[in-house]
Amino acid sequence: MTRGPLFHEQTARQRIAAVVDRGSFDELLPPPERLTSPYLAQLGIPVSFDDGVVIGRARIGGKKVYLAAQVGQFVGGAVGEIHGAKLTGLFKAAARDRVPCVLIVESGGVRLHEGSAGEIAIAETMRAIFECRALKVPTIAVIGTDIGAYGGIGILSTCCDFRVMTEHGRLGISGPIVIEKWMGKKAYDSSNRALVWKTSGGKTKYLLGDAEALVHDDAGAVREAIGKLLAKSSPVTLKNVKARQKDLEKRLKRFGKTGDPDDVWKGMGVRDVARASLASGPEFAAMAKAGRR
Amino acid sequence: MEKFTKAFPSKPLKTTAGKPWALAGVVGSGNLEVLVERGGRPSDAMECHIETSIPGYKASWLAALADFAHHYPAGGTKVTINDQGAPPVLVTLRLRQAYDHLVKGSK
Repeated sequence: MTRGPLFHEQTARQRIAAVVDRGSFDELLPPPERLTSPYLAQLGIPVSFDDGVVIGRARIGGKKVYLAAQVGQFVGGAVGEIHGAKLTGLFKAAARDRVPCVLIVESGGVRLHEGSAGEIAIAETMRAIFECRALKVPTIAVIGTDIGAYGGIGILSTCCDFRVMTEHGRLGISGPIVIEKWMGKKAYDSSNRALVWKTSGGKTKYLLGDAEALVHDDAGAVREAIGKLLAKSSPVTLKNVKARQKDLEKRLKRFGKTGDPDDVWKGMGVRDVARASLASGPEFAAMAKAGRR
Repeated sequence: MEKFTKAFPSKPLKTTAGKPWALAGVVGSGNLEVLVERGGRPSDAMECHIETSIPGYKASWLAALADFAHHYPAGGTKVTINDQGAPPVLVTLRLRQAYDHLVKGSK
């Protein structure tokens, strides 16, 4: 089976071009506008024309969407003042125009060089996301890169209605190296890739219900998954929030003490851990569904 | 940080088709981003604005840019570069990529 370039290897602009209807992307605040970070130069760090995030309007399967893609190679896709303001504005526009909003994530969270500005920007973006959700405007986070979604962006991703992940994607709050620094190498070895992906990778997140779709590492598959979610929304009601809280309490009770991520997989109904480890995203999703029955 | 601006003589851009601007590369370690825009003046010079995190290599920059302006008809373009320590070969490669996107309109 021949495939196009892998989603996690593409650049932010390539990802957008591959996910949307051909030629439909209209970039807002493009590089010639030179909306760059006002802080980085003081620290001797070069700026980027788009401050690490590409935003704009496009169509997916003929449907209008607002779309953002983070540039992981620029300071780890971290959110500074401008980057965050672009995200906030995009989700606000989505709420105003009642148009679904898709965020292709590749970020370690707040840009520490502009700490407070980044924190505030992420909080404002979350507020804008909840504005969308209150209006039943779908918000979707796509997490399919090695950098993944951590820190503030990890939280922000979970604020969206839905998450589309690939096996490569990782979702969490503290990154593996941060956990190791605080808890020690014995508790969490960040160089153990199997451990890292089994605790925060796409497969585990899908298994636990933190991601709604687990797809191939391919822009076409991501596009298809987004297309299926564009007409849906997940309302924030007291009932839903309480049910979710109960789920999380149950999860903590069942798996809170375990030191082996395989126990979580087995506990969630994965019968053959070795086979599941080697399975592709969609194969794994099918196995997980079978295990739930 | 080091910043400098210079215009290099170059034959005028041939096509008016293609895109108004093009971007190549990304600001990452050992990499750079090059933004090429139409509408620079005069039409027989390539106007360059460089910002680099590695000071002390102005001579190499000027040589690489002058060489590009000499070999490609890039007159009437404005080139803006954000650099994080890219080697000269990569500078040339990114210039060519951005230039190709600009004149051919490809992604």
